[in-house]
Amino acid sequence: MHLTVKPVLCITDKRTPSCDMTFLVFWQSEQSGYYCLFNDFDEAPLRCWTETQSGELSDKRTVQSDFSYWMTDDDIQSLLAVVRVEVLRMDTDDRRRRRRTRHVWDIL
Amino acid sequence: MKTTSAVALLMLLASPPCFAEQASSNKPPSAGVSVVTQSGTAAAQGQAQAQPEESRWRLGIGLGYGLRSNPLVQSDDIPIFVDIDIAWFGERLFFDNGDFGLTLVDNEFVTASVVGRANSDRVFFGKTDTRFVTVDLAGQPLSQAAELTIPDRDYAVELGLELLADGRWGQLQLTAFHDVSGTHDGYEIHFDYGYGWRNQRWYIEPSFGLSYKSEDLNNYYWGVRPDESSDALPGYQAGSGVNAHARLALRYQINRRWAFALVGEFENLNDEAAASPIVADRDVLGYFAGFGYRF
Repeated sequence: MHLTVKPVLCITDKRTPSCDMTFLVFWQSEQSGYYCLFNDFDEAPLRCWTETQSGELSDKRTVQSDFSYWMTDDDIQSLLAVVRVEVLRMDTDDRRRRRRTRHVWDIL
Repeated sequence: MKTTSAVALLMLLASPPCFAEQASSNKPPSAGVSVVTQSGTAAAQGQAQAQPEESRWRLGIGLGYGLRSNPLVQSDDIPIFVDIDIAWFGERLFFDNGDFGLTLVDNEFVTASVVGRANSDRVFFGKTDTRFVTVDLAGQPLSQAAELTIPDRDYAVELGLELLADGRWGQLQLTAFHDVSGTHDGYEIHFDYGYGWRNQRWYIEPSFGLSYKSEDLNNYYWGVRPDESSDALPGYQAGSGVNAHARLALRYQINRRWAFALVGEFENLNDEAAASPIVADRDVLGYFAGFGYRF
């Protein structure tokens, strides 16, 4: 089972505190079968496919922290593939840290 | 329609109980891309990973290549291969890459801190050469070859007040520092404004500002005292002046830890510093391209 999610990194900051994105999920298996796609937000699958070797889904979502997509077969305990989407927060709640610009040659 | 209903029923039956609610609305697989739209945030649903508590430490390293021009005569440009970021922020005390601070006020409008630091003008004087010359710095021939040494300058420890503010309009920094080490006995007032734009992984931030350098400060670093002057190096008394600077930083976030950064900077030395015999070029230019890693 091969599972691909794009993008896998979403960046937030003070002006954009959450990611409003469409995640394109693609999976492919060597064998046809019954497969379901889950994520961290719902106990129910986003979608299930029957007698299929591949599938694609576009998932529009607003997120503020890391989450995962994963595939199972008809046994939901069987984790066939998982992809983690990272939400990277570039700002900080510490105002000093956020407001301080570093020395002129600091680049990080 | 019959086929659709049959497949939906099969899926309902085949699905574990926790799927039942969703399965009733599942459509049969199709070749096209299906779109699922949900707007619940991870935080609201409480299922995705919560943000870890922020560490008081900020550690990072930048590796790449850059250069900062040296405005002094008989000097070498300053190469930049590594940039290390070490900072610690306590409740009120902080250390930020050589700056020690005590925050007095911190609210939504302004952050005011008392800060101690080392003056940055000294950095140019660490890359100077000593040469024997047959003409002076004005281009006039000398009667005999003379040793020309750029006077050495010390780091000054400065103490001052820092005012910071930010908002949707950008970020503002206003600082006033005075020498407390008896090195130059002068002061500097610095203003900087920056505005950043982000488009997911890309971030671009232009900034610009002015720095007023008092006569004592300017003269210590850019003047030539009588005991330092020679046939090749005339004495010089520098007055106060205003430096201008501008900077453009571009960053691409590769993943959680790594980023690629491009930085270009320009600083225009004030008239009094630029007129010094030890200054060859009043414009200080620099750039850096490299990769940054956050621990």
